[in-house]
Amino acid sequence: MAKKEAGMAIIRHEIKEHLQTGDIILEMKHITKKFSGVTAVDKVDFSMKKGEIVAIIGPSGSGKSTFLRSINGLEEITEGEINLYGTTGMVFQHFNLFPHMTCLGNITYAPIKVKGKKKDEIEKRAQELLELVGLSEKRDVYPIQISGGQQQRIAIARALAMDPDLMLFDEPTSALDPEITGTVLSVMQKLAEQDMSMIIVTHEMNFARNVADRVIFMDAGKMIEEGTPQEIFEHPKSERLRDFLNTITR
Amino acid sequence: MGEFFSNFATEFVETAAYIGIILPALLRGTLVMVQLFCWTLLLSLPLGLPIALGSNMKFWPVRIFCRFYVFVFRGTPLLLQLYFFYFFLPIAFGVRMEELTTAVVTFVLNYAAYFAEIYRGGINGIDRGQYEAAKALGISKTQTMLGIILPQTMRIILPPVSNEAIVLVKDTALASVITLGELMKASRGAVNRDVDATAYVVAAVIYLMFTFLLTVISNKLEKRYSLYNQREAG
Ligand SMILES: Nc1ncnc2c1ncn2[C@@H]1O[C@H](COP(=O)(O)OP(=O)(O)OP(=O)(O)O)[C@@H](O)[C@H]1O
Ligand SMILES: [Mg+2]
Repeated sequence: MAKKEAGMAIIRHEIKEHLQTGDIILEMKHITKKFSGVTAVDKVDFSMKKGEIVAIIGPSGSGKSTFLRSINGLEEITEGEINLYGTTGMVFQHFNLFPHMTCLGNITYAPIKVKGKKKDEIEKRAQELLELVGLSEKRDVYPIQISGGQQQRIAIARALAMDPDLMLFDEPTSALDPEITGTVLSVMQKLAEQDMSMIIVTHEMNFARNVADRVIFMDAGKMIEEGTPQEIFEHPKSERLRDFLNTITR
Repeated sequence: MGEFFSNFATEFVETAAYIGIILPALLRGTLVMVQLFCWTLLLSLPLGLPIALGSNMKFWPVRIFCRFYVFVFRGTPLLLQLYFFYFFLPIAFGVRMEELTTAVVTFVLNYAAYFAEIYRGGINGIDRGQYEAAKALGISKTQTMLGIILPQTMRIILPPVSNEAIVLVKDTALASVITLGELMKASRGAVNRDVDATAYVVAAVIYLMFTFLLTVISNKLEKRYSLYNQREAG
């Protein structure tokens, strides 16, 4: 059975058994998103397999965020079809933690309210997640009391608490001081090692190179080029990608 | 010197005795004022919320209705609304209403409009990222409003709401025009009867006591709700 929503654009497929690594987890066809005149995403086709790690790079305004946000319905697509075989979690550039809840509260709120999880059960899980992101001691403090890098790690734990099959990251380190991006990136690295499926919009080229299985270059709403990190960074084919790589590496 | 003091003492004793005479009437007025105040807050604080949410709705008939409601009740004098309902309610319901009921109805409708605008401002002041985070987690719209947006607006709306509460203490005096026997009417009665302004001074002191009490309460509440917003050594 499949459930359609958001203007019939996203089709959520119920999965009877757990997806195997290598099964298709997301398939998007002819995705177009227009904002009153501006075409942010232009007839994009995309698919990925469970366990895959995809990095999306590209200049500002190229439609990376819009593409990513269409996957979980934060942007309603103008045209196209999204087949999603699983659930998503998202990590935002500006963390968007709930400021009136403690770190623990942030992590447990959705599992309790959405999945009806029992409090002690989910708190045990939250404890594990806090350990995963290295912030056990911040359990009972409020987001305002911790640094940006710590907030972002809590945000990752919050998303993971819903047991998503696919994690979406929209420039998770762009709002952070350069010297603390490493703490967030190493958590993401850990997830990658645990076989989490991830789509990461990022400006961290080194991270994309080291962690991604596949890198996609977007420009003007289109996916211009894609390939292994090696192909994209060492042997860029298109002029635009070469220009882009030149501008970011000074 | 001695004469001055003895004059002063006599004056003082006389005034104290006079206050003792008018005080029971003033306290009865105070009781009515407190009733009007409490009923108004108790009913208009919650009534403001659906109006605020309605004013933000995509469904236009509800939105237009709520905005029009606010426009009318904020855009006309409370005094006029009191006169209007004093005249209109008996016709509409075919029975003579108690002055207190009439005043409560008017005040509730009026203050709900003000509170609705305060709530709406508070809700609109919440970052879009909060809605997005909630949606990304699969939290329903209702739950997002109840559990995530509204609790955060508390801190924003508390100062203007307590401000309105203080205004309300003073606005209750307006209800004297529809012959409600609250503190204003009671003091005016004493002043006119005895040709002595003391009752006004006593009434002023009573009003001040209430506004002071409200200031203290609102400061306490503000402190409580700003807790998560203060950076503490953590
Ligand atoms: N809500 C919106 N309303 C109108 N236009 C929008 C909106 N969101 C995005 N756009 C436009 O869509 C285009 C793509 O924006 P998007 O945010 O997806 O780019 P991006 O690749 O994520 O850029 P950045 O690297 O700066 O985050 C831009 O031209 C942008 O101005
Ligand atoms: Mg972006």
